[in-house]
Amino acid sequence: MKKILFVCSFFVLSTVLAQKSEDLVPSEAITVFSLNNIQLLQKISMDQLVQYDFMEELQQELFDGSTNNKTIKDSGLDFDQKINIFLGQNPEYSISGVSFGVSNTTDLFTVFDDFTPVESPYSGIEWYDSYFNNLLIKGKSALLIRVEPNERKVDMITDSIWYARGNSSPWEFEYEEEAVEEPYNEGDTLEVIIDEEYVPEPTDDFSDSTENLMKNYYELRDSIQFALQLNYEKIVLDELFIQNKKLVATDARFAEQIAHNTEGTFYFDYSRKMEKSKGLFYFQGIVPSIYTDVNELYEENIITGDVVFVDDHLEFQVVTKYNKQLGEIYSSLADAKMDPAVKKYIPQNSPAFFVYKVNMREAYEKAYEIIMPILSKEENNNRLAANVMMLDLMNEFINKDAVFDTYKGSIFGSFNGVKKIKTKKIEFIYDEETYDYYEKETEAEEDMPVFTVGISTKRPDIPEKILKYMTKVLATRKDGHIHYINNVKGSEYYVMDKAILNAAPLYMINKNGVFIMTNDEDLAKNYTNGYEKKAISSKELKKAAQGGMMYAKIDLNSTVNLFPRDIFSPKENEIIDALRGKSGTMELTTSKTSINQTNLNLTYDFVTMPEGPGQHVLDMINAIYILTK
Amino acid sequence: MNNVKKWLKGIWIFPLLMGFSSCIEIIDDLSMNLDGSGTFKYTVNLSSSKSKINTILNLDSLDGKKVPKLPEIKSKVAEFTSLITKQPGISNVKVETKYDDYIIKFQCNFTNVSALQEALKNAITTLAIDKKGSVDYAYNWISWSTTKLQRSIPEISLQKVSEIKQSELDLLRTGSYTTISRFQKQVEKTDNPSATISTSRMAVMLKANAYSLTKNPKILENTIYLNQK
Repeated sequence: MKKILFVCSFFVLSTVLAQKSEDLVPSEAITVFSLNNIQLLQKISMDQLVQYDFMEELQQELFDGSTNNKTIKDSGLDFDQKINIFLGQNPEYSISGVSFGVSNTTDLFTVFDDFTPVESPYSGIEWYDSYFNNLLIKGKSALLIRVEPNERKVDMITDSIWYARGNSSPWEFEYEEEAVEEPYNEGDTLEVIIDEEYVPEPTDDFSDSTENLMKNYYELRDSIQFALQLNYEKIVLDELFIQNKKLVATDARFAEQIAHNTEGTFYFDYSRKMEKSKGLFYFQGIVPSIYTDVNELYEENIITGDVVFVDDHLEFQVVTKYNKQLGEIYSSLADAKMDPAVKKYIPQNSPAFFVYKVNMREAYEKAYEIIMPILSKEENNNRLAANVMMLDLMNEFINKDAVFDTYKGSIFGSFNGVKKIKTKKIEFIYDEETYDYYEKETEAEEDMPVFTVGISTKRPDIPEKILKYMTKVLATRKDGHIHYINNVKGSEYYVMDKAILNAAPLYMINKNGVFIMTNDEDLAKNYTNGYEKKAISSKELKKAAQGGMMYAKIDLNSTVNLFPRDIFSPKENEIIDALRGKSGTMELTTSKTSINQTNLNLTYDFVTMPEGPGQHVLDMINAIYILTK
Repeated sequence: MNNVKKWLKGIWIFPLLMGFSSCIEIIDDLSMNLDGSGTFKYTVNLSSSKSKINTILNLDSLDGKKVPKLPEIKSKVAEFTSLITKQPGISNVKVETKYDDYIIKFQCNFTNVSALQEALKNAITTLAIDKKGSVDYAYNWISWSTTKLQRSIPEISLQKVSEIKQSELDLLRTGSYTTISRFQKQVEKTDNPSATISTSRMAVMLKANAYSLTKNPKILENTIYLNQK
């Protein structure tokens, strides 16, 4: 019996104490994506895997031919352990990396073939490094990590040493700018163009003959960066391997989340992200008490999620948790009902639409109640005091009923496909006799995505007033006139010429308690009273109405793949690119917001691919990674 | 010089506009006098893609590069004009711009084709001393004797065409590049079979699809023989 108990205890203990990949996630990690069921990924090739944005930190290691024709199965990974991709940042440095299980180091080093062993100061840890990263193996788990010093800090130290050595500015130009005299006219304004992109070549300015001091600015900067990198690497790794400060031990919420038996998990500590946010550094020095209070407002604000297979679709189940103060603002915001008038303006065949409903009035009152005392607390800032006074007076004097009845908080949008729009172009017409040519304005067509955005309003008279005035205000402009149209079909709308990209008209419809802006000519000319039978079904809208603040549905094939690249910003394109080429439907639902959490559910009803469902897990994680990085 | 360096950061807009403008139209129009002097006109017409260009100009950056604002582009055009005006053998420089339609027309007189080539080469080289320092504008695209004109297209066009990414080439299928060569004598023949001679026989036109030009930059090479009389 004793023997059996011993064997059982040994088995339990060895299971509990066994090294797990998540134990190697440093406590500095703010975002962690964990792939739990990596059996799903067995069919995915390494080449495919390294293409994902979340693998970008490793791409230097892996885009060197070492992954050719290999699947993840061939890479020596232990499929009984999780793969954890993490990112973190503090004012001194940022960390990024992956921790994973290792089953076969020989196979592993055929993929990570640029790593060479180095002496490890940590007992029981094998250390390998490459030009970019460090690979540390502890038992059957490995950590691939990169630590980067904060660029601004590197610059500050470099500048300080550079000038202390008596060097002149490394940004000194070789050439003097040519003075261009321009006549000054009364009323002219002075335009200062600051070119942020410009990085001049540093001048070679050596003020000392010692070899060490012969470094030019960039060489000095590289040395400082390297020294800081080593220092920060040591801090992170000492914490992990000597002080045992790992995220799973320092944050119980992460430990709880990663224990979920789902395909993947997600952890994003928004409170720490806020704390490290560059935007808040300004407040830290100027208004320290507000900085502290704003941080407190976001304390305990954490977003966690699970990737789960349910039947033949994938769900991303996200929980946003926050403290009572923030929860009160969010609950007030979410205390709204969807305006049924919205339904008739979303077409039945819309490839993508969203409905967002918040109670602006309630949210304003609650935010005012919570944020004004924070702002009023700061004693030694005149400008802030003046702004707080203005806010307070505005709150007293402004007709809030009019403001919040005009925009109650329900907003909807739909993507109605890509349509040809008519524009003008200049053509050169040639004379056959001489080949002389002249310009002729002709009709042209360009592709433009068609969008509709609308809000529900209790005071349609106010947008009407604005539009009527704007028709007069803009009447003398060369372009962009607003006209009121009341056509024979009973359609009433305003149209602004060349409003979109200086080419396409923008239609404004103010009817039935809804104010709409659209570039959809069809909607303006034929459906100002709504699509009626051609609108989305009541059943579909019910889903949107029942949930929380937001509902969105998107048919990937007929939406994302059709978006013209050049109308979106690089960041938006990154997200769109992550979804491009995929088929299926994505549906986003939110639960009712409570005082301490909101649940969000993203369902991906995919079309099966030969690589198996693992591909979809990766796609979804990639999209979320881009959104949060 | 600082302004020139700023221009360098703006010069990438040209391939970018070419890349993102499905309907770029370029006309290069060379009029030769009997003494070898002449007039060179260069027109870029992006009017059929103006909504795309408006979009691009509204962005802060694209593909990791800063998108210059319209005033910046205007100032660069003015800078180019100023540079080319200072070149020997060049006179009567005119630049006409229609930013509503994105049409830019450049025109200058030259004393001989070498002066024209040298002037363009100097201006472009000055403007294109980029980080890599690999721009080679030593290519001569035009030569003239009293009865024969050998020509291709200015090197800036070839250089920028070569910088267009493969993935963007498809967008150029509807773009065009037209060369027109005019003379004070009648044209006898041309050696490029795609070239057409005007009914007055005083001008030759050679037109290529912008996409084909990226695939074969020699497509617009032509030798034009004039009547001896």
